[in-house]
Amino acid sequence: MNIKRWFSVVGLLLMVLWSQTGYAETIKIGEINPLSGRFAQQGLEIHQGVKVAVAEANAAGGVGGRMLELVSRDDQSQPDVAIARAEELCGWEKVLVLTGGYVDSLVGPISEVAKKYRIPYVASASLQKELVQHGNPYFFRVARLQGFVEPLCEFLTEKLRPRRLAVLSAATPGSTELAQDLEQCLKTHGLSVHLAEKFRPGTPDFTPLIGKLANMDIDVIVSAGFSPDHILFVRQLKENMLSPKAYIGPFGIAYESFIEAMGADADYLYSTCAWDPEFTLPGTDAVSKEFIQRFQRLFNRQPNTTNMHGYTSARALIAAMQHVLYRGQALTGDAIRRALTEIELVLPMERLVFDQTGDPRYYRHVIVQIQNGRMKVVHPPQRATGTAVYPMPPWEQRK
Amino acid sequence: MWTTVIVSGISLGSFYTLIALGFALIYGVTRNFNLAHGELLVLAGYVAYWLWKSWAWPFWLTFPAAMVVLLLTGLILQRIFSRLKEPLELNSIVFSFGAAILIQNGMLLCFTGDYRLIRVPALHQGLRFQNFYISYGQFTLLFLSLLVIGLLYLIMQRTYLGKALRATIQDKDAAAMAGINVAAMGTIAFSLGAVLIGLAGPLYGCIHYLYPSAGHEVTLLAITITIFAGVGRMRGVLLAGWILGLSESFAVIFLGASWREMVSAVMLLTLLVLKPRGILGNKP
Repeated sequence: MNIKRWFSVVGLLLMVLWSQTGYAETIKIGEINPLSGRFAQQGLEIHQGVKVAVAEANAAGGVGGRMLELVSRDDQSQPDVAIARAEELCGWEKVLVLTGGYVDSLVGPISEVAKKYRIPYVASASLQKELVQHGNPYFFRVARLQGFVEPLCEFLTEKLRPRRLAVLSAATPGSTELAQDLEQCLKTHGLSVHLAEKFRPGTPDFTPLIGKLANMDIDVIVSAGFSPDHILFVRQLKENMLSPKAYIGPFGIAYESFIEAMGADADYLYSTCAWDPEFTLPGTDAVSKEFIQRFQRLFNRQPNTTNMHGYTSARALIAAMQHVLYRGQALTGDAIRRALTEIELVLPMERLVFDQTGDPRYYRHVIVQIQNGRMKVVHPPQRATGTAVYPMPPWEQRK
Repeated sequence: MWTTVIVSGISLGSFYTLIALGFALIYGVTRNFNLAHGELLVLAGYVAYWLWKSWAWPFWLTFPAAMVVLLLTGLILQRIFSRLKEPLELNSIVFSFGAAILIQNGMLLCFTGDYRLIRVPALHQGLRFQNFYISYGQFTLLFLSLLVIGLLYLIMQRTYLGKALRATIQDKDAAAMAGINVAAMGTIAFSLGAVLIGLAGPLYGCIHYLYPSAGHEVTLLAITITIFAGVGRMRGVLLAGWILGLSESFAVIFLGASWREMVSAVMLLTLLVLKPRGILGNKP
């Protein structure tokens, strides 16, 4: 009996040691996303994109012959939990790199932990300028604010030329900065903003604001709120029979789920979009198709732009690790960080080159309009898949 | 514009009232601080959404179904709440917080995190008379809140059950000494509260929108309105809802949209200092 027990203990120890050795051969990629709470949907979508990139790399033999192991954590859409998860991944799980992250309030704290542990972090969805102005050499991201502002400013000044314009923003850092930068850009192009207001995301009633817009005879509304804000705002515009010439929501409209929720009321709304299966970046058709097929095999549905942001951030890290190994260097945080500053990738969403602050140089959205429940690119002209309907038909003339 | 602001303020206040009534009633009678109130309301919304979307039920028919589901859920919760020991309010906070997370994750699993909307085109049309315009949705909110408050008033003031409930709200021990079955009053209050949540849920999915973590804000709103109204004051809930709705609407017009919540917060703090027992509360 004693010998049996002795053998069991030794066997168990050997198994633990063997499994530890096995894990040592994989490369751990840490990923933190809001998988529950307020941003659960976006977090899950980023997570799916990251999973596709990891599966793709593993199917191709891993990185330098070593398989990638994705260690995912849920920050519950709360900054304090994001910090705890980042500490856990960097300090306990000893991940080599970090990715994921949605909204600056969650990405910011994670980037600080990454800096403390000298672990490169490529964020999937972050816009606030301040995050890259702190001189954190370990922080990179695949999106930037100017990618929204520039095409929007062009579209408004060159195509729409509104008579009276309102720029509304949600009380979040990214949305506020977008509104400020857009206003600045419009001003330099000779277009003034007649009403600039800020509202809390999740506001339960826009009717008083709509009354104000009607009173001021506003003809174009730019509302930098999020999907739920647009759902309520547009519905209440319809209820009050206020038909602006254009309603532009840079965030949260160019999604199948939004179009499905709104039905025909989504038609003629404008938004911006970085990528969609129906309009991929020129020259990336083959890689886009490959991504779409792999995504559909894994998740049995069409990917969207948020999935693509997750995929792009994980692809950047994988490419940087390959770059380090190709040069015969050891895979360390500092070597990967340096590689990230040198890589140049052509991915379905963007040509990815990081500038000295960690922002992507060429990230740029297109302007889309929903027409008959489908997204059509209406700006820039070289990527257009449809013609903008402007002004949008008044509510009373719609079926 | 002014009529629009007044109508929107009152309909928003009515919406707040319907959201808060279930919480106010349950807390008033049982002193159970139900932090899962918002999640239950969103669950009722999802029940209605599922019946409307998957089974093509007419929107109006989803109300009784949501009320029945919530009644059953409420009774299960009440069984657990009734086993909690003193300190009751603290224990109920801890238990209901756990229940809220459980319900929230269950909804995330069943309905994903996508925003869901019950589309009832008829509710988004309306009546126009010169400058006055009211949508059928706004009218429904106003009508339902008045109807529910009226019914609750009749029950509370004109029936023996209402007297027993009021006695329990005022002093549980004294009510028990007077021969009132306090435990049964708790069950009845929970049932009534759950039915009210079941009524508000489908409306929330139609007037607002649904997502699994939406309940958090609903609970906060219900707590605010209950404090504003004064514990156990059902008519106060309507008055508090209207005052908040109107002040928020006027804040948007006069000060700007970013001042909306600030004005509500200042009003609540002022009230807590000047009338700590709520807007219709008596002096201590």
